This record gives sequence, structure tokens and C-alpha cells, in this order.
Amino acid sequence: MSGAAPSARRLVPGIRPGDLPGAFIVLGMAVLVVLGPSLSPLSATEFDPLHALEPPSLAFPFGTDEFGRDVFSRVLTGARPTLLLAMAAAALGVMLGTVTGLAAGYLRGAADETIMRIMDALMSFPGLILAMLVVVMLGPAPINVIAAIALVFWPRSARLVRSITVDLATREFIEAARSRGESRRFILFRELLPNVLPIIVVDFSLRVTSGILLAASLAYLGIGVTPPTPAWGLMVKDGQQFIEIAPWLVIYPCLAIALASIGTVLLGERLRHRLALPGGGRMR
Amino acid sequence: MQALGFILRRTLLLAVVLLVVSLLTFGIVNVLPGDVATAVLGDMATPEQAAALRERLGLDEPLAQRYLAWLTALLQGDFGTSLQHGQPIAPLLMGRLGNSAILGLLTLTIAAPLAVALGIVAALRPGGLLDRLIGAIAVGAYALPEYVIGLLAILAFSIWLPVLPGTSLMDPNENPLARPEALVLPVCVLITGMLAFISQITRASMIQVMASPYVRTAILKGVPFRRVVLKHALPNLLPPTITEIGMYLGYVIGGLVVVETLFSYAGLGQLVTNAVSYRDVPVIQATVLLVAAAYGIGNLLADVVALLLTPRLRA
Repeated sequence: MSGAAPSARRLVPGIRPGDLPGAFIVLGMAVLVVLGPSLSPLSATEFDPLHALEPPSLAFPFGTDEFGRDVFSRVLTGARPTLLLAMAAAALGVMLGTVTGLAAGYLRGAADETIMRIMDALMSFPGLILAMLVVVMLGPAPINVIAAIALVFWPRSARLVRSITVDLATREFIEAARSRGESRRFILFRELLPNVLPIIVVDFSLRVTSGILLAASLAYLGIGVTPPTPAWGLMVKDGQQFIEIAPWLVIYPCLAIALASIGTVLLGERLRHRLALPGGGRMR
Repeated sequence: MQALGFILRRTLLLAVVLLVVSLLTFGIVNVLPGDVATAVLGDMATPEQAAALRERLGLDEPLAQRYLAWLTALLQGDFGTSLQHGQPIAPLLMGRLGNSAILGLLTLTIAAPLAVALGIVAALRPGGLLDRLIGAIAVGAYALPEYVIGLLAILAFSIWLPVLPGTSLMDPNENPLARPEALVLPVCVLITGMLAFISQITRASMIQVMASPYVRTAILKGVPFRRVVLKHALPNLLPPTITEIGMYLGYVIGGLVVVETLFSYAGLGQLVTNAVSYRDVPVIQATVLLVAAAYGIGNLLADVVALLLTPRLRA
């Protein structure tokens, strides 16, 4: 039924050479998220005072920190507490945004007004500040960081999905579904959802990038993660005091963050290109 | 006249937004699971300690009453008392606000024109070498968190090549402008982040403007190209770009928090991260509110400037 919809696009046409850099980085990061801890040659958390602050060598490719922990192992293990968090938050935020955006855009009227004014209120905080406040009040735990970041993404996704839904809702295929007597739920999720899906996919890819940046920034500020968790942002924060004598403590986790977010940006750009969506360079 | 009505309506809206923001801030602090006393004392606190603190902060009063009391005090300039310093928060905030404003305004005044210029240059030949170069730098600058850029800058310019101070460590009451060299790196880091976003936004709208019939007409009738760009395209490009910059202020504020922490710069951001590690909830609550208010006011100003610059409405 939804196949008859006017703007349905295929999500995965063939792979082109330009997709590869982003895809490879993201794939590599996914492997780290799944296998990171078991790929690590040494423990990410155990102290080894005899090897404190050693520069990179064969035994410790990224050097060691002030407790003698292997930075290489910590970077590998740290993918999970950084990237998984960002992905979960992006997924949750976009999901909430999609449902509220669809509902507001299709139902209109009082429901629309109420939902969107709440979304506006959430958007009147700078993102990092809102996430910070929520995590501080909920306490430091990964699930709370996910909830806080999702709360930042929710209104932004809802706005996007609503704006498209408002337009779609006036199309003939929706009119047809309504005259067939389809239920509201059917129209929302079987007729409208498939048509906003390409936009949701692109939105999700952008949110993953922002999620990595937000999660890494929160961790860097010491919010939401507690030592000895090897989250990349926290490693940078702790390593900063040794930057003059042991720059490897900040360089490698910084590189990991950079690589992960650049990978998602590249892949996201390709996705948007592929799905031919407007708004090049829309980085929010 | 039309403009005046808009400004009035927009100011009224800001008042509503501020009220909602205060309600939300208060709500997040007081209604979310996990109560203030535990947030302040940590999990190790005994029930007696928690009860004593709740008593001291007046947490046993009904919620609505507490909100109203907090709001009335706020309107009279009383932001409460810091748990960490035992001092009233308002004077603490105001000094910091000034310092953050210096950093933020310096960044805006340099970055905004520069970013718009870069965006225009990139848009003149889309897909050209310059466009791709600017685009690549923008993606890099966008994808890196401020502290990564900042730490790399510290490594490069204050450790390997010691020309600039790697920290802006200072007394909170000191005037940051007294040591301009300590401002260079923080401002540069913030500028980098802003350039990325705004240059790409500008580029996108500039490409659109350049493709519009009136610009093509101007080119075809032989108006010099420089004049087409500066006198025909730019005036129509600026208002939407300024609105975008206004919306982007939220990210600038987030960047400020991180950069101030990174360089130990005594601004609001550093105050709030400090307050977080001491679980100084009244300070956190007050700072968040102030920051959200600054964001709202910045947005309003951007909208007003955009309106005043709109050619159609200026006549």
C-alpha cells in the first residue's frame, strides 16, 4: 500500500567509491564497539605502577598513563562507552521525535500546538547545558547520559518530521487511505512513516555525529562517566594535566574521537546526497 | 511600524520563553527522580544528613510554593546562596557573565563576518578548488569537539612552539582584556567551530541567491560582478544568515562551556562545571537559567537585526 506513495525512495542503492572512506571508518568503529574489550592486549583499568607514563613503544603502542595503564587498550575499550552511548541516544531521540512529529503533523489542532510548544520549550536551552543539567540531576550512569542526549535531540527531530508530515498529510494517498476507512494508527505508521523514512535516516546519521560530540564533551567535563571507565572524553580530561610531559595521553583519545565523528559525518553526507535531500551543510 | 510591532511581539514571546525556561529548569532540578539532597551529598549520605540539608534548602515545602518563592527572589535579583562558597550567587554570576560575554562577543565579531565571507567565496564557484578546500576544513572543524581542537592548539602553540599561553588561568575579578595574549587561543578555537557551520550555511543560501532571476538579470545587463555580489546578492543573503547565526548561538554557548573549562578561563562555563563537581545545585540552577536567558536574548537580537537589514522592510 505504501508502495504507491509518491516520494518513496529506495534506501540502499549500490555502493559507490565515494562512500568508502566514511563506510570503512564507521565499520571499524562498529567492530571496536562490539569487540573492543576483547581486542585490547592489556587491561584497560588495572594499575601497573612500574610502567607509569611511558612513551609509546612496541609493548605500549600508545604509551601508558600515570597509573601505568595501557592507553592503546583504553582507547579500544573506550569505544563502547563513547560510541554506543551516542548511537543509543540518537536512536532514542530520533524515535521519540518521529512519533511526536508524525502525530503533531497529522493530527494538527490542539494536539499539534501542545506538542510543539513543549518541543519549543526544550529547544530554548542550549543543548549541552540541558544535557548537563539532566545528567547532574539523574546521577552519573550511561543510561542517564543516553536519556539526557535523547532529550536534546527529541524536539529537533520532532520539528523536522512534523514539517514534512504536514505537507504529506495533504496528499492524495492519505486522502485515499482515509476514505478507505483506515485507522489513524495505520495512516501514521503504514502510510506516513515510510515516506518520512529517508529523512529520518539522514537525521539519525547527523544525530549520531552530534551524539558523539555531546557525549565526548560531557565526558570531558566529567559529567555522566566516572573513573575508571575509559570513555574517550574522560581520558582527555584526565590526561590534560600531563600534556607537557606525556602528550600521548591526550593525543590518542582525541584522535579516536576525531576519527569516529569524521567517519559519521562523511557517511552522513553521502547518505544525504544519495537520498537527494535538500539542505547541504545542515549540521544540526 | 511593521518592524516595531514585530519587535514588540518578539519581546513578549521572549518573556514567555524565559518563564517556561525557569519552570523547566526548576522542574528538572526538583521533579526528576533523584532528589536535590542526594545530588548534593552523594550516595554515601546518611538519611539524617539528607533530612538536615532538605530542611536547610527548604525542600520540604510544597513544590508550587517553592517555585514561586524562587521566581520572586530571582526577579528581585536574588539567585540564592552557593553551597560551595556559602556566598550569595548573584555577584558571583555577574562577574563571570561579563567574562564569558567578552569571550563570546570577541568570537562573534571576528567569526561571523569571516564565515560569511568564506561562504560567499566558496559559493562563487561551487565545486571549485576553493569551495572544496573550505568545505573540507569546515567538515573537519565541525566534526572535532572544541577541546580536541583546543588541545591540539595548546600542543602546537604553547608547548612545541611556545608563543602563546596555554591557559587563561586568572582571578575571577581580573579583567580578561588586561592580558590579551591569554585570549588568543580560546577565541581562535571558538572561531574555528563557528566558521565551519556558518560558512556552509552561507554557501548554501548564496548558491540559491546567485541562481535567482534578478541576479542573472543583473549579470546579463552587464553590472560588474563585484557589484552584483556585494550590492545585489549580499543584502538578500544577510538577513536569513543572521537568523541562522542567532539559532547557532546555543552551540557557541556549549562551546564556551568547554573552552572555558579547557583554558581555566573564569567565565560562566567554568563556574558551572566547577559547581557540577561540587554538586552545588543552587549555582547550577542559577547558571543554567542565566545561560538560557542569554541564549533567548541573543536569538531575539539576531531576529531584530535580520529584520532591520531586510531590504523590503527597510524603506
